[in-house]
Amino acid sequence: MKSVTKNIKNKTNKDAARFSLWNFWIAALMLKLLLIPDYFSTDFDVHRNWLAITNKLPLREWYYENTSQWTLDYPPFFAYFEWFLSQFVPKFVKEDGCLDILPEGEFGWSTIVFQRLTVIISEILLFVVLQVFINNSGSNEKTQSFVVASSIILSPGFLMIDHIHFQYNGFLFGILIASIVAAKNKRYLLCGLFYSIALCFKHIFLYLAPCYFVFLLRAYVLNFQDFKFKSYKDLILVVQWGNLMKLGGIVVCVMGVCFGPFWRDMNQLLSRLFPFSRGLTHAYWAPNFWAIYSFVDKMLSILFVRVPFNKFINLDKIEERKRWNNGSRGLVEDVFFVILPQIQPNLTFVLTLFYQVLAVVPVLFDPSFKRFIGSLTLCGFASFLFGWHVHEKAILLVIIPFSFLVVCDRRLLSSFMLVGSAGYVSLFPLLFKGQDFLLKCLYLIVWCIIYFFAFRKTIKLSSSVQRRVFFLDRLTIIYIFSLFLMVILIEMIDLFKNRFVVLQKFEFLGLMVYSVYCSLGIISSWIGLSWLYNFDEPLWMPKGGV
Amino acid sequence: MSSKKKLLKKQQKPGEEEAFYASPLFDFLYPFRPVGSQWLTEYVIIIFAIIIRCAISLGSYSGKGTPPMFGDFEAQRHWMEITQHLPISKWYWFDLQYWGLDYPPFTAYHSYFFGKLGSFFNPDWFALNSSRGYESDDNGLKTYMRFTVILSEAVFYIPAVVYFTKWLGKHRNQSPIGQFIAAAAILFQPSLMLIDHGHFQYNSVMLGLTVYAINNLLDEFYGPAAICFVLSLCFKQMALYYSPIFFGYLLSKSLVHPSCNISRFIIVAISTVVSFVVMFGPIYLFGSSSSDDEIIADVSGLNNLIQCIRRIFPFARGIFEDKVANFWCVTNVVIKYRELFTQEQLQFYSLVATLIGFLPSMITIFLYPRKFLIPYALAACSMSFFLFSFQVHEKSILLPLMPITLLYTSTDWNVLSLVCWINNVALFTLWPLLRKDGLVLQYFVCYFLSNWLIGNFSFITPKFLPSFLTPGPSISNIDDDYRRGSLLPHNILWKIIIISSYIVMGAVQILDLFFQPPTNYPDLWIILNCTVGFGCFMLFWLWNNYKIIQMRNKTLNDL
Repeated sequence: MKSVTKNIKNKTNKDAARFSLWNFWIAALMLKLLLIPDYFSTDFDVHRNWLAITNKLPLREWYYENTSQWTLDYPPFFAYFEWFLSQFVPKFVKEDGCLDILPEGEFGWSTIVFQRLTVIISEILLFVVLQVFINNSGSNEKTQSFVVASSIILSPGFLMIDHIHFQYNGFLFGILIASIVAAKNKRYLLCGLFYSIALCFKHIFLYLAPCYFVFLLRAYVLNFQDFKFKSYKDLILVVQWGNLMKLGGIVVCVMGVCFGPFWRDMNQLLSRLFPFSRGLTHAYWAPNFWAIYSFVDKMLSILFVRVPFNKFINLDKIEERKRWNNGSRGLVEDVFFVILPQIQPNLTFVLTLFYQVLAVVPVLFDPSFKRFIGSLTLCGFASFLFGWHVHEKAILLVIIPFSFLVVCDRRLLSSFMLVGSAGYVSLFPLLFKGQDFLLKCLYLIVWCIIYFFAFRKTIKLSSSVQRRVFFLDRLTIIYIFSLFLMVILIEMIDLFKNRFVVLQKFEFLGLMVYSVYCSLGIISSWIGLSWLYNFDEPLWMPKGGV
Repeated sequence: MSSKKKLLKKQQKPGEEEAFYASPLFDFLYPFRPVGSQWLTEYVIIIFAIIIRCAISLGSYSGKGTPPMFGDFEAQRHWMEITQHLPISKWYWFDLQYWGLDYPPFTAYHSYFFGKLGSFFNPDWFALNSSRGYESDDNGLKTYMRFTVILSEAVFYIPAVVYFTKWLGKHRNQSPIGQFIAAAAILFQPSLMLIDHGHFQYNSVMLGLTVYAINNLLDEFYGPAAICFVLSLCFKQMALYYSPIFFGYLLSKSLVHPSCNISRFIIVAISTVVSFVVMFGPIYLFGSSSSDDEIIADVSGLNNLIQCIRRIFPFARGIFEDKVANFWCVTNVVIKYRELFTQEQLQFYSLVATLIGFLPSMITIFLYPRKFLIPYALAACSMSFFLFSFQVHEKSILLPLMPITLLYTSTDWNVLSLVCWINNVALFTLWPLLRKDGLVLQYFVCYFLSNWLIGNFSFITPKFLPSFLTPGPSISNIDDDYRRGSLLPHNILWKIIIISSYIVMGAVQILDLFFQPPTNYPDLWIILNCTVGFGCFMLFWLWNNYKIIQMRNKTLNDL
């Protein structure tokens, strides 16, 4: 005790907090190690298969190999990454069957440990990037940056998707966040570089492309400083050709390195990356606009059969469509609407693009970091809500950029709380096993408690606080509480299904309630954010709305 | 300046009184210093404690996939099976060869409750006879059983510990964050977590009830204290290890100290007797039955009661069962007791040795019934039972470990160091058991985690890494140059002992992990393990007794 006292007395600097993520990393690491024996999804075998393909086959055959149904459908950088990982497979793991190309993997404990460890180790990139982000932020915003960074690294999303379900999102989002951090520090070339690398790792980031394109164009390539329109010739001077060359060069180089080796097999590669044969929604509806659409259709189809509308609607046709729907479930996972009009891929594409353009236009006028990150979040939202065959995991594309945005203003917080809680809860059906139930619930609850409070504490109150709508804040809290209530109720139904056979009929109902209720939260969050983004000027002023 | 920092600034300088200053726990809980967020801390700690238990419980359990006898998991499941399907009169008689019930009635009632609840979800789990060694692909039974342990612990153990640390903190004017750090350090005790949630047992119920009893003593509610302790005793007879101290303390408080208080004596006596009667009553009342079964003869209520007690105290078994780090097992290497003495002689000797062992602590607590002495006395007393008594399991180390771990509330660096040391030694002695259960990963993770959290590795972190990562404490305002030292006593002799014991433990661990034992001595590594453990426990026990006598006239603030 004496030595402690002595040392404390030497202490001079009271605000010496260093905001290091080191302790968080260790604590999270311990938890992740304990999760190694936990359930993993088919994605585990998918990635194991890719390890095997990239290791055993020559490069040209990577995108043709189809022994297993889990064909390689990530862009080449990820394939290179798998190849890189496969170089480190120790001998006894190889003997365990880690690198065998089989229709279905046969592997044991050592393969599991190896693959889980690759996730844990590759995720270090995320920590490093976020640490750089904290270190580069000004001394007056360090606390905020730390809260943002730690909320991301401890995110239940990464814990559930990466460390239980099995994927490499921590690593991939590390690259994306690197580009966000570069944008914050006005290093536009780096921003472009990291984004194109991230894109070549995981093509889902393509959804964010409009935002990056416009932002880099406006902030780096175009210069309206001394722009005075005299004739159209002046427009040429607006473009900073040198910058354009540099940026374009970097992007083309990255793409070249990525896709170059496959130039002859481009068609095959693209058909793997963009399989349009899939349906509008997944078996479990991702909580987006289409979930509500499908739900309304379902309700209407029940209603119409009961209510005598026969005059207007051909019942036989409904029955036929219903039968068709039931027969196909599980095979193509295509949803066929009974009452409402069918949705074509083009429509989803147009809708997504429309809302993305709406989000991107303000960046064209004001290429500040705040605007950029706002439009990034909204692009994520648009693609998640209206995209074709959206996976519930894509919600990270919204939540992660949003975490950087939310520290700007207190009024964004309720919107963030909505999408944070609803988005993560919507991931729960991924881990359907009973053994994870307590863990995932408690982890999400504690994350919500800590970070919602931490954000509330650290985010500045804006001058426009009078315009907050307290009613909506209360509603948000009620929504979040009933979210947990819903989770428990549905788990109860699941528990008792062995006991009461009636409940087995409602198995799909549970998932439906999940996606409909979560989508309500996510859509409201989107509306709230869009409102603030488009109609609240003070928030987007340079100095934090003051 | 952000509002959070402003709030931080208002707080007084991080206290010199903070025992775990600059440890990762301190670092994590530092943001909760503002008065407004203190109420939150408790829940955050508890939730994290449960999360880590959930994560451990994903692992294997004792006797998984090893027919025909399986292990402790199967024993507990089997009791849930028989208690709900058989009348009370057969609980202590049914198929004794296959995990016959050998714990006191409260365990049986507890099993009955959870058995009934589990059968509601899935009757197959606890179907009579047909469910032996039940395992399924969806892990339904395992999940349920794990859940019952977590629930039991959340009801019986966690609130008790949190209350204990808060009580001490309040009465010593400790900062709230200090109390919570102590609570977290106690809740993250690795041995109990691994045995209960990994190996599978319900020790936390017994230990938690004892902590409730201690809390009641602290609050001077003597009747409830007696009730809690009797319940603890009726959950697992192992709580007897604590009984001399409770007996001495209650007796002294009601008869001698400060003066004779007959009404208090009567209250304690009545509550003790009544709770025993309530616990054992059903065994007697519903114990008589006439049976058609030939194996199970007719039993009267009294017979049933006697059988119950006979099952609880199995004197027919040997002096020690598996390898355990106590006096008999370790000296057995040199002196073959089983060949030299008969069973009765051994029973007598061990009784005498135990008696001599716990008398100093019992006499001291009788003469000086002070609140802050209770954990010390309980530790010394239960440790002497562990070291010298008859039929000790390696898991019994949890009993001395509980009051020892409660001493994490102390502010004395030397005490903390020894507590931490003995926790590490105890976990080390559990290694053979945990390895057998397939909990190697969990063992190492918990070992590291518990030590790291209380700051034993804080000295390492900064030097190994590039400076741009700015390793070290994250949020708290600890000075750049400040490094928290590991928990080691100031006394140079103790330092040498502890460090050399760590080195030996590390060596044995490495031997055990990577080398086959010589064929003549297949148990060599385990015996080495026990010997090291025994030496350390013995030293700690001596120190503990010395400490009790030395501290007898101190006050609560010196704890």
